[in-house]
Amino acid sequence: MAQIRVGKPDVAPDTPSHTKGVRMGNERHARFPRGHHKDGTADARRSTGVRPKKENPILSVMPNLPPG
Amino acid sequence: MAIEEQEGVEEAARLVEMSWDPITRIIGNLGIYTKIDFANRRVVECHSTSSLFRGYSVFMRGKDPRDAGFITSRICGICGDNHTTCSVYAQNMAYGIKSPKLADWIINLGEAAEYMFDHTLFQDNLVFVDFCEAMVRDTNPGLLKRARNTEAPNAAIHGKRTIADIMEAFNPFEGDIYKEALKVSRTTREMFCLMEGRHVHPSTIYPGGVGTMPGPTVFTDYLSRLLGIVDFFKKAVALNDDVFDFFYEALPGYEEVGRRRVLLGCWGAFQDPEVVDYRYETMNEWGKAMYVTPGVVVDGKLITTNLVDINLGIRILLGSSYYDDWVKEEPFVTHDPLGNPIDIRHPWNQTTLPAPQRRDFNGNYSWVMSPRWLDQRTGEHLALDTGGGPFARLYTTALAGVVDTPYVKATGSAVRISLPKGESLPETTLEWRIPQWSNAIERNRARVYFTAYAAAMAVYFIEQALARVRGGDTKVFQDFDVPDEAIGCGFHEAVRGVLSHHLVIRDGKIANYHPYPPTPWNASPRDEFGTPGPYEDAVQDMPIFEENGPDDFKGVDIMRAVRSFDPCLPCGVHMYLGKGRTLKKLHSPMFGAGAGNV
Repeated sequence: MAQIRVGKPDVAPDTPSHTKGVRMGNERHARFPRGHHKDGTADARRSTGVRPKKENPILSVMPNLPPG
Repeated sequence: MAIEEQEGVEEAARLVEMSWDPITRIIGNLGIYTKIDFANRRVVECHSTSSLFRGYSVFMRGKDPRDAGFITSRICGICGDNHTTCSVYAQNMAYGIKSPKLADWIINLGEAAEYMFDHTLFQDNLVFVDFCEAMVRDTNPGLLKRARNTEAPNAAIHGKRTIADIMEAFNPFEGDIYKEALKVSRTTREMFCLMEGRHVHPSTIYPGGVGTMPGPTVFTDYLSRLLGIVDFFKKAVALNDDVFDFFYEALPGYEEVGRRRVLLGCWGAFQDPEVVDYRYETMNEWGKAMYVTPGVVVDGKLITTNLVDINLGIRILLGSSYYDDWVKEEPFVTHDPLGNPIDIRHPWNQTTLPAPQRRDFNGNYSWVMSPRWLDQRTGEHLALDTGGGPFARLYTTALAGVVDTPYVKATGSAVRISLPKGESLPETTLEWRIPQWSNAIERNRARVYFTAYAAAMAVYFIEQALARVRGGDTKVFQDFDVPDEAIGCGFHEAVRGVLSHHLVIRDGKIANYHPYPPTPWNASPRDEFGTPGPYEDAVQDMPIFEENGPDDFKGVDIMRAVRSFDPCLPCGVHMYLGKGRTLKKLHSPMFGAGAGNV
């Protein structure tokens, strides 16, 4: 063994690969993603969770095109 | 590619057996075996064979249906995205979902870039090797002499004074058109990647939509690239017209090369997002709304444009293929969602039972089956071909006369294509008219017109997609659940012709999956009724115009006939004389006829 200082292991080897209650991507009936609207439009919440309203367009006639 | 020659097999008839095996890399090794009557300069008999079994329909069973698009993409290394798209169409039908409109425009844009990419690469870098100065000098020196003294009618557009100048520009690695085409292929690939993420196995196309981020820049990046290459397509059409018209004029009777009865199939491309809902029940309506109209053409007449009729008529026949019959197996689908009965020989019911055996030209000789289309009017099983793809697409679209956009308009006998102003050439309108024959030259000519068609349609798709984005629509994906039991079918056009995917889901898994790409249609062997496949039919009884005799025969006319169907990428040919004696003459058209003598 090399002389490398390592941290104290804090994950038990028998930790399950999935924690009950956490949603799996492969599940049926996925949640509706945040920032997406039913009519196909989106707002800045799609791109960021940090003060998203500040990132929305300043005029209502402008399309809301969050970057990704 | 290999030219094999076995002499003295039928001395009495003075026939020489000549074969090219492999002729291409697509779906296993395609080989063309011919008997040539050199005295009368005619091909007497032709067999088309494939010596490799792929087995996608066998190992797709039991897999998660959502993986189908990613797996079937690997069928082909050049038009894999056509398979992904077709699989997505089939899955949408099976899952009962519809991609959002913007997603359909994005798929259309990706597929348009693919057509531009693949046709340019194949036409300018592979087909033209058969028409380049180095090849013509070796095979028809008399023709080249005449080309040097023939003015090119469209010189004002493309800048080449004589036909021989054009042929020189086609020379591999040296000619300027060859080199420019490579650059254009790069640009079109970039355009493709903007829309579908990766070429040629897309990473952002899924059932239910796309993963492409529909920002305005993705469309403007595409458009700026398109406008940079649009002049290339205008020049390419002019160059092709000049060279192909010269062949007709200088070699009377050349229209017989690769000629066969007009039996064409096109399964349609470019969905109209405003109409398509991917339901089987409404398939006829949204099929007709496609921006390339699907259809079957028999002897120059459009028989149908209904996708349901096209679907019901497909039959997979055996007769000369290395498979056991599946007639006694249990059918998967007895009736379609409209209640029409489905034949056991339909892809939905096919069970692939491979039976490897020795090649025997009087019995079984190919791994390719014989897809046919049953003409309900006559009961005939028609060996449809795809005309290399563009020929059938333009033919059905022109005859149907449905497509009507600001840039492409079908008139009933022609297709009018308007390309916008480019860097050096003004706005140009091109017209592809239905030709008299279905032959090698017209298949090749249609290919270059279709690059212009795809470019013009792409401009329209960009306008439509950008209008949605400017309106704030950014929805490109919709969620879905995989049903336990479902069926689906997808119809699309791979670059080189018809493409269908038939899917049966049971217990949430794939129970049966049959992709039918264009080459099984084109390269099919004789079926149980003895009807030869399109390659065989086109080459059989074809005249030979090559000036070389049997000793240094290159078979360029036969190659032109087979390659006009776009059998994917041609690779090297080697040639040997029978009885084990290897002829020390090798040539590889990839390196030019002159440079290839080893």
